[in-house]
Amino acid sequence: MPDLIQYSIYILLLPLLSFAVQIFFGKKLPRNGDFLATGIIAVSLGLSLYVAFSALGQENFQQEWNFTWANLGTMEIKLGILIDKVTAVMLIVVTGISFLVHFFSIGYMAGEPRYERYFGYLGIFTFSMLGIVLSNNLFAIYCFWELVGLASYLLIGFYFERDSAAAAQKKAFMLNRVGDIGFWIGILMLFAQFQTFNYQEIYQNIGEGKFTWGEGWLTVAGVLLFMGCVGKSAQFPLHTWLPDAMEGPTPVSALIHAATMVAAGVYLVARVFVILTPDALAIIAVIGAVTAFFAATIAITQNDIKRVLAYSTLSQLGYMVMGMGVGAFAAALFHLVTHAFFKAGLFLGSGSVIHATHHEQDMRYMGGLMKKMPITFATFTICLFALAGLPLFTGFLSKDAILAGAVGYANVEGSWAMLIPVLGFSAALLTPFYMGRQWFMVFFGANRADEKPASADDHHHHGHGDNHHHSEIHESAPVMTIPLVILAAMSFFFVFSPNPLDGEKGWFMNAVKTPETKVGITKEGLQSAAQVFSAIGGGEPIAPETPHADETHSGTAHFKDLRQQKLAEASHHAHGTVVTLSISLALLGLVLAYLAYLKNMGAIASPFVLLSKMMNWFNDTFMEGAFVKGIGNLGVKLSSFIGGFDKLVVDGIVNLSATLVQIGGLLFRKLQTGRVQTYIALLLIAVIGYFVSKLV
Amino acid sequence: MTLTLITFLPLIAALITLLIPKEQKQAIRLVSLLAAVGQVILAVVIWQGYNPTLAGVDDISKFQFVERAAWFSVELGGYTVSADYLMGIDGLSVTMVILTAIVALVGVGASWNIEKSVKSYFVLYNLMSMSMMGCFLALDFFLFYIFWEVTLIPMYFLIGIWGGKNREYAAIKFFIYTLVGSVLMLLAIIALYASVVDPETGRNTFSMVVMANQQNFISGSALAPSEGNLLRVLAFFALFLAFVIKVPMVPFHTWLPDAHVEAPTPISVVLAGVLLKLGGYGLLRINFPIFPEVFQQFAWWIALFGVISIVYGAFCAIAQTDFKKMVAYSSVSHMGFVLLGISAVNSLGMSGAMLQMFSHGLLSPMMFLLVGVIYERAHTREMDKFGGLAKYMPIYTGFIMLAFMGNLGMPALSGFVAEAFVFLGAFAVEQTRVLAVVGTLGILLSAAYLLRTYRTMFTGERRPNAAYEVEGHHGEEHAHFHDWNGKVDLDGREIALLAPLAAIVIIIGVYPAPVLDLIMPSLNKVAEILSATANVALK
Repeated sequence: MPDLIQYSIYILLLPLLSFAVQIFFGKKLPRNGDFLATGIIAVSLGLSLYVAFSALGQENFQQEWNFTWANLGTMEIKLGILIDKVTAVMLIVVTGISFLVHFFSIGYMAGEPRYERYFGYLGIFTFSMLGIVLSNNLFAIYCFWELVGLASYLLIGFYFERDSAAAAQKKAFMLNRVGDIGFWIGILMLFAQFQTFNYQEIYQNIGEGKFTWGEGWLTVAGVLLFMGCVGKSAQFPLHTWLPDAMEGPTPVSALIHAATMVAAGVYLVARVFVILTPDALAIIAVIGAVTAFFAATIAITQNDIKRVLAYSTLSQLGYMVMGMGVGAFAAALFHLVTHAFFKAGLFLGSGSVIHATHHEQDMRYMGGLMKKMPITFATFTICLFALAGLPLFTGFLSKDAILAGAVGYANVEGSWAMLIPVLGFSAALLTPFYMGRQWFMVFFGANRADEKPASADDHHHHGHGDNHHHSEIHESAPVMTIPLVILAAMSFFFVFSPNPLDGEKGWFMNAVKTPETKVGITKEGLQSAAQVFSAIGGGEPIAPETPHADETHSGTAHFKDLRQQKLAEASHHAHGTVVTLSISLALLGLVLAYLAYLKNMGAIASPFVLLSKMMNWFNDTFMEGAFVKGIGNLGVKLSSFIGGFDKLVVDGIVNLSATLVQIGGLLFRKLQTGRVQTYIALLLIAVIGYFVSKLV
Repeated sequence: MTLTLITFLPLIAALITLLIPKEQKQAIRLVSLLAAVGQVILAVVIWQGYNPTLAGVDDISKFQFVERAAWFSVELGGYTVSADYLMGIDGLSVTMVILTAIVALVGVGASWNIEKSVKSYFVLYNLMSMSMMGCFLALDFFLFYIFWEVTLIPMYFLIGIWGGKNREYAAIKFFIYTLVGSVLMLLAIIALYASVVDPETGRNTFSMVVMANQQNFISGSALAPSEGNLLRVLAFFALFLAFVIKVPMVPFHTWLPDAHVEAPTPISVVLAGVLLKLGGYGLLRINFPIFPEVFQQFAWWIALFGVISIVYGAFCAIAQTDFKKMVAYSSVSHMGFVLLGISAVNSLGMSGAMLQMFSHGLLSPMMFLLVGVIYERAHTREMDKFGGLAKYMPIYTGFIMLAFMGNLGMPALSGFVAEAFVFLGAFAVEQTRVLAVVGTLGILLSAAYLLRTYRTMFTGERRPNAAYEVEGHHGEEHAHFHDWNGKVDLDGREIALLAPLAAIVIIIGVYPAPVLDLIMPSLNKVAEILSATANVALK
């Protein structure tokens, strides 16, 4: 077993150890085990850094290790670990943010009930998330996929006494299950074809054209696998659980429902990217673009500080999914990484605010916190600029790369595909607007804590019940601000690229390359790609080469697949325009928010608010109402019908026939008098007696 | 002697119990406990001594721990009927024997606080325990039949005397259902005996092992495997009905919710943990290998009814308001996977079915123990009489979470591996592919009824009409059940019963290889018998 694999197993299992220790011994440990749990994650982080730097320092790094998990005689099921450069980066993201969240929680969660269990749950979450990252096969990723779902369920319902938390945890689990069933059927399809779960073997089989059900069914398989992402990454139409998931403790929202778990869906799409057909990718792109735009509009009128961030997360996840769909593989993963840091920073920053304001989450009663909480303000601002897509910050680099991909895609696909960059750029305007609104409402102006109506339902009553005056608000302790500073530092462009306007020049985009599709380079794929090529008048199609698996691909513009090559070139050409456009939109959005919410020019806000209210209405009526609640109620009605049917009809027939027998007076009367029992018992004793006498 | 000993240890305990005065309840309990512990030790001995490379199934020389003796021989009108005392073990039975020993021990532990007619209770309990074990070990069909019938009678009394309000209705329902199956089975046994000859002795035989080989049927006999022999179809369904009533398969399931709701906790534990598995075991050991071509003809229909059971049982479970009835219907749903898995006739489907029997044999006893704990304290099982229990019963809630997650197919717990294998197996075969897809609905529905129960009973605050009171100051509240003076959360005995089951559920969920190694050679052999298409040349 190679060293790095061995280290990665330690990285994986240490958080599980933390879980076990916290659950069984947490209460007996000093400080209920918070230092221990944090220390264990720190070791995991240290090892991750070592593994990541070893991996990133090598050209074309990839290590794999398998073991036989189940031997059925006629077949073996192998599971194992795959470390490549994507894994390496993800290891740092997961253990890094998990460590910071552990650290932050020592301050934030102090004095909460079930404190030791909280750290245990963080442990099992980190374990499962690392499992998703490290798996080399679809079976194991599905297992860890469900386990992060369990951890998420437990943590959303951490304050289970609160009915809203109990409802939210159940909703999250159920909607995720819907997506996971699709994911599972997709796995079933690929396994039925190739008798393996291993990514590399599946790629190879598909590359060799061994998927015998035809490209239509391969599209279906791809879309089914993507359904897992729709659930976990809360894409339209299964998105409604994520805003409700904000019922969990705020550091959990940062770790699970912003930075890592919800991004696992994007990671999954990355893992199966090369087997997705152009049709499947088109569906993915549309779903992502719709989510990016739709969620951004809703965020505009949210008043809960966490729900704004939740809808913003939905929107950014939409960007990543859209990026995958348009073929901007590396850009989507890049955004996953940059977003993980700045969004974790924003959530922890909001946690710092909520902590300081004694569990106030309504932004209408905040304001003026800039001076009270300078460190929180500064770090929140940096992360916010990153999210808003301002140059000099990481979010700009990655979002820009995705938008360039979207424009390239629209240029190649034409007509309907224009919708995707249009939605993408619209969201790019809305993002700075709603984040600006939050920024101004929370940190600028005068404090409005006194404006809160006394009768307002204070459903976050797990903290102090009494009313605190804003003069008591002060900066959070270093245990909370240090993580904020680190996350803010990770949001500057130079962490990822020397060029503040171009992520392509940075180490990340250098390490992670868009892989060659396995679908397009089949013969059939080549022909359809050629058709695409000539249909858009892109000149002479290149003669089809003999397809063969090529693991080393350098530079994004050298794909054997014509379509992919065309996409790469188109997005490259679009880059200049996109940079100009996105900077303008980001600044425009912030200025509009400034005028609307700090200068109180309501007229500027009104078109945005109107759009937001329309989308909100649509979301409540159709997505939440007709779709989630409607299907739920239908299920309940159906089950009470079936339950009644079972009782009245199925059991009724049984009872009726028993009654008929009774009327006949044949068996039943004798049974009731016990004669038959006596008879059988005697017979039995006789038989046993005979048997015993024979044996002796 | 190992198999005889593990089977009849409870009988010895029953006989000793008869000699103890009925006032000495603790002594009676201890005798049963000793017998059950002895069975577990013997099960470990069997497990350690078992050679997993031998397949068994249709070859007696590949069975292990075989015990054989001539049993009886009766002249009936110039016709000699003789049966053997033939016991043996292979991959189909080895895990079931281990499961039976574990569940029987847990059942004794769960019976500890039964105070009504303790002596009769444990005599009957031990008789039931003996016959269950015997069913899994008997290789002579007649011997099997005797054990099969003997499970019925103690069960009838255990439900009918120690059960709840409607116990007599439930007991009779259980009795009649199973008796119908038994009568049909007896007819099939007689017909089989007349049609099969043991090649070694040249005489007719009850040996299931001999019957599993098509070449041992007498040409021209009633059940000879010839083209269009309708009697074989009839005999197949006679056995099939007997076994699927036990499984239970929809629409023959309605005895189960009634029996469970009325049965005392330990009997529910044994019923769900072991007795239901007799059905699945009978299909695998007897019904399908003896009539492989009839099975093939109806495999799709069997899979269909498996899927109907999965989905229908789950819908019924959602409709229940009684905690125990919900668990009972979830059994119907989960046992449907056994039928679907076998019908796939490949390694994955078969192993999934067998794992599901083993896994459900651990998870459903856990569930019924947990239901029993709450019923004992609150005297009600209506879900909306609780609310917010997680706060006051944290250890109990921990076990509930594990049992629920195991039931709804959370990876790293045994239920997931079993159901995943069933799906993988069933989807790989074109015949059952669509059914497998429909069956995935079951994993959504199981999440629905379990999480709904969890939310109703364990989260939120105490309901106004709850079956318990909350006392104490803010931040230090504790719950109090009206006339319950014991610990509110689980006590030591209850933890001792649940923890081993939980541990095995996790071990198998994480690494099923130890179980798979035991069962695979035999299951692959069964799959081979069931998928052999060519009609075997007759003698």
